[in-house]
Amino acid sequence: MTETALQQTTARPKDAPWLSLKYREMLEAWLFISPTLIGFLIFFLGPLVAVVYYSMTEWNLLTQQATFVGLDNFHDALFVNPDFWHVVRNSVIFALGLVPLNMALALTLALALSRPFFGVVFFRTVFFAPVITSAIAWAIVWKFLLQGEAGAVNQMLAWIGIDGPNWLREPNWAMAAVIVTRVIKMVGLNMILYIAALQAIPRDYEEAARLEGASRWQIFRMIIWPLLAPTTLVIMVITTIGSFKVFDHIYQMTGGGPENGTLVLAYYIYQQGFEFFDVGYASALAMIMFIIVMVLTVVQVTVRRRGMQ
Amino acid sequence: MTQRQIRIIYRTCWTLALLIVAIPFVFPFLWMVSAGFKSVTEIFGAPSLIPRVWRFQNFVEVFTYQPFARQYFNSIYIALAVTAATLVISSLAGYALARMRFAGAGLLMLFLVSALMVPEEVTIIPNFFLIKWMGLMDTHWPLILLPTFGPHGVMATFLMRQYFLALPKELEEAGRMDGLSRLGIWWRIALPMSRPALAAVAIITFLFSWNLFLEPLIFLSSLEMFTLPLALSNFTDTYGLPLWNLQLAATTLAVVPILIVYLIAQRQIIESFALSGVKG
Amino acid sequence: MKAARTYLTASALAIGLMSTSALAEELRFTVWSGNEAHLKMLNGIAESFKATHPDVTVKFETIPAADYTQKLTFQIAGGNPPDLGWMMEDAAPTFEKAGVLMDIGPSVKAAEGYDFGDLSQAAMGLWQDGEKVYGIPFSTSPFMIYYNKAMFDEAGLDDPLALAAKGEWNMDKFQEVANKLTEANPGKWGFEFKDGEGYASRVMHALMPPIRAYGGDAWANGECGFDKPEAVAAVTQLHDMVFKDKSIVPPGEQGDYFSGNSAMTINQISRASKMPEAGFEWGIAPLPAGPGGESPVIGQAAIVVFDQGKQKDLAAEFVAHMTNKENVATMAQFFPPARKSVLESDAFINSNKLIPADQMKNLGAAIAAGKVLPSHEKSPQILAAMAPRIDGLWKADANVEESLKAVCAAIQPLL
Repeated sequence: MTETALQQTTARPKDAPWLSLKYREMLEAWLFISPTLIGFLIFFLGPLVAVVYYSMTEWNLLTQQATFVGLDNFHDALFVNPDFWHVVRNSVIFALGLVPLNMALALTLALALSRPFFGVVFFRTVFFAPVITSAIAWAIVWKFLLQGEAGAVNQMLAWIGIDGPNWLREPNWAMAAVIVTRVIKMVGLNMILYIAALQAIPRDYEEAARLEGASRWQIFRMIIWPLLAPTTLVIMVITTIGSFKVFDHIYQMTGGGPENGTLVLAYYIYQQGFEFFDVGYASALAMIMFIIVMVLTVVQVTVRRRGMQ
Repeated sequence: MTQRQIRIIYRTCWTLALLIVAIPFVFPFLWMVSAGFKSVTEIFGAPSLIPRVWRFQNFVEVFTYQPFARQYFNSIYIALAVTAATLVISSLAGYALARMRFAGAGLLMLFLVSALMVPEEVTIIPNFFLIKWMGLMDTHWPLILLPTFGPHGVMATFLMRQYFLALPKELEEAGRMDGLSRLGIWWRIALPMSRPALAAVAIITFLFSWNLFLEPLIFLSSLEMFTLPLALSNFTDTYGLPLWNLQLAATTLAVVPILIVYLIAQRQIIESFALSGVKG
Repeated sequence: MKAARTYLTASALAIGLMSTSALAEELRFTVWSGNEAHLKMLNGIAESFKATHPDVTVKFETIPAADYTQKLTFQIAGGNPPDLGWMMEDAAPTFEKAGVLMDIGPSVKAAEGYDFGDLSQAAMGLWQDGEKVYGIPFSTSPFMIYYNKAMFDEAGLDDPLALAAKGEWNMDKFQEVANKLTEANPGKWGFEFKDGEGYASRVMHALMPPIRAYGGDAWANGECGFDKPEAVAAVTQLHDMVFKDKSIVPPGEQGDYFSGNSAMTINQISRASKMPEAGFEWGIAPLPAGPGGESPVIGQAAIVVFDQGKQKDLAAEFVAHMTNKENVATMAQFFPPARKSVLESDAFINSNKLIPADQMKNLGAAIAAGKVLPSHEKSPQILAAMAPRIDGLWKADANVEESLKAVCAAIQPLL
């Protein structure tokens, strides 16, 4: 907020005499912002505060009776309910699988597609297409493709002599399947962000290095990768948060199964709150999710900042 | 081999590799369209992208099993409403944040930024009770209000702010000389100059609303009120059994038009998303 | 031009946002059937209510069956409950305990010519608590074996109906014929679980018939029954059929009975409407008996009135109307009744054009002797707690007894 269009000298007689220019400007600014601000307070900040209170109640969605129980819900989650840690574990595995895979693939594709060549538009269009598709539609189709023996994926694997697993019925394979299909769905976005960043790097840097005899890998390692660092950080934060948010994909593809193998935090909150009517416990889970995401974001930003110094 | 030949071989290998990687990105779409024309038995039979028997009936039955046309309309008009509301509100706020000086701006920015980090699942339960209190259950209002004012709206605000920051100041001053108010400058000068940013916000917002799932799932309960993603996840017969072929036909109907628009305007659409990410 | 566009957008908004505001005398009734014939019949019953209540209309609202209970919960919790609705047996205790169902006992008992005592006591069990009545079952539908007669004939086997008549239709025989049918029809199966969903959403429907035939149950008096010897024996047999004999359609495969890919399945009478388009000769027979004797399993659905509704007394009157003798007889063409007088009538035996009288008699017998599927106040949690352990059960190398013990360990705290 360093600049402003306003120049005090251009004050005209039309200005209201009872209000100095500075205050008038301020009032106008707040008026401009007020729709956003009011909506934000009502539909975001208010609920965020409310969830803190909810998390300390026992509250049945159906009977609508709430009793204050202090930190019992958190105690239940952290020390009593065995599902909770299983769900956290699943969410962490999901993020650990998804984020590196997504970013590595995005960067690779971006490096391949950042310079014009015959077909580049075709490939960019193709890799980005799933991003604009609804996650529900995407998951519906993949659920079919990953069917036991009749599924197209296993039929294709059979051609090259691989006996594919029953993807969505084995917990570990199901987790892998959800991660990979999610990466395919979302990688286009990160690819585009990387392409934009790559195209912003002046060509001279690379030319100079090449003249000095640097290999392609050296150029990437020493010049491109460091220059991409800010983009990498942004992508990492967005993708990590995104991986904790994933709901529709899992809802449609596995419903958290098999053997709770893909039951992640976002889905668990929905299940506890809206299927089991346990609003208090679900709110405690929402608080925990909030804290996890905040901590992860702060950690990533700090680590990267330190790394850059 | 000459340098040139090596280049060509190198290029060919890259292209081949890219083609292989592209399979899982393209195949689901092809399979979806093909399965939309198949009978249930054939969907689970030998995989072939060309249906043995073309069952056009699927696309008719989609409309008799659910009020699918109505649901389609719901999705379109809600997405348009969210887009219109977001454009106005985010460009107003974005303009103020970029161009006007006022106390509390820094704090406000910090507040808004933090919203970008918070998954919507965190606030969905209080919002459920809020919407209930407002008497808006099973209406489309929550699907318009929550995306407009939630984290997505904040993202749009930042995108607009970023763009306004880069606009030349001189034009605004000229407008001021002509006696335009702040609102006039925003409407007559800033907005017309920000078409790319407005287009980006419009595209991203439309798709965001179009694909929204958690909110419709929780706030809607009558079939006539459903939006497309909810309708798609709900293709079951009287006994709760999935109607596979109808589900796939409906999915095709929901996805293909968007895909066609995307293919026509792919450059514009991809750039919009790039813009949204760059602002951080 | 611009104005026209603005106008269009505004009116589109207005149309879309119009909520379904109810008239003073309109009852909102949620059902899970979108079937035209069902709705026509229901609307007919609503029409006949006008004889005594000329100003009252009833609006039947279809909610897809898969999400029915969930959506109903959202409506009630969201302060937007329907006046009345259908309710499945597994949801009944949850809603009853939460106090969202109205006691309609006084209303129906006071209705003229209602004859409350005519409702079978066994069928009412789930919907009564002492003197209080929380629902009137409109469908008390036993699980029956559907069989593909052509496949039995080709394999030279007696069909289940014939075996039942000879008194030979039991679990061992069931396994034996399933095996022979599978061998005789490569690429097809002897048996398919209900709707092919036995490993997922229809777990209870897959497990309960054999477990009850062996004399066990899912739970009783707050104690889990899955790890009792009877249940273990029953599930072991099923497990063998899936993974050793390979005569039951296995997880992740599609062997749809209605398209002729399985010789037998278990289902309810409502599914007979799918048979004419199947295009093969077929029949229905009782469930195979087991060491525990014959023990038919019943799926049930009732009409309930929601306590938060604004017109609940009127709604209760409509329930009395809908479940009087005349209307129950009308509904019997689709939904097996819980009224003794209707069940015993010739009209019921001959009510279904698709099913011969002798087979309908078996149906009547099953309703009289049957036991409703297990339900519990915490059904959603119990089913969710069971699901992961059941997933573990349906693997070739699973230890059935250990898996069932795990099921019990998971659900016992909830019972």
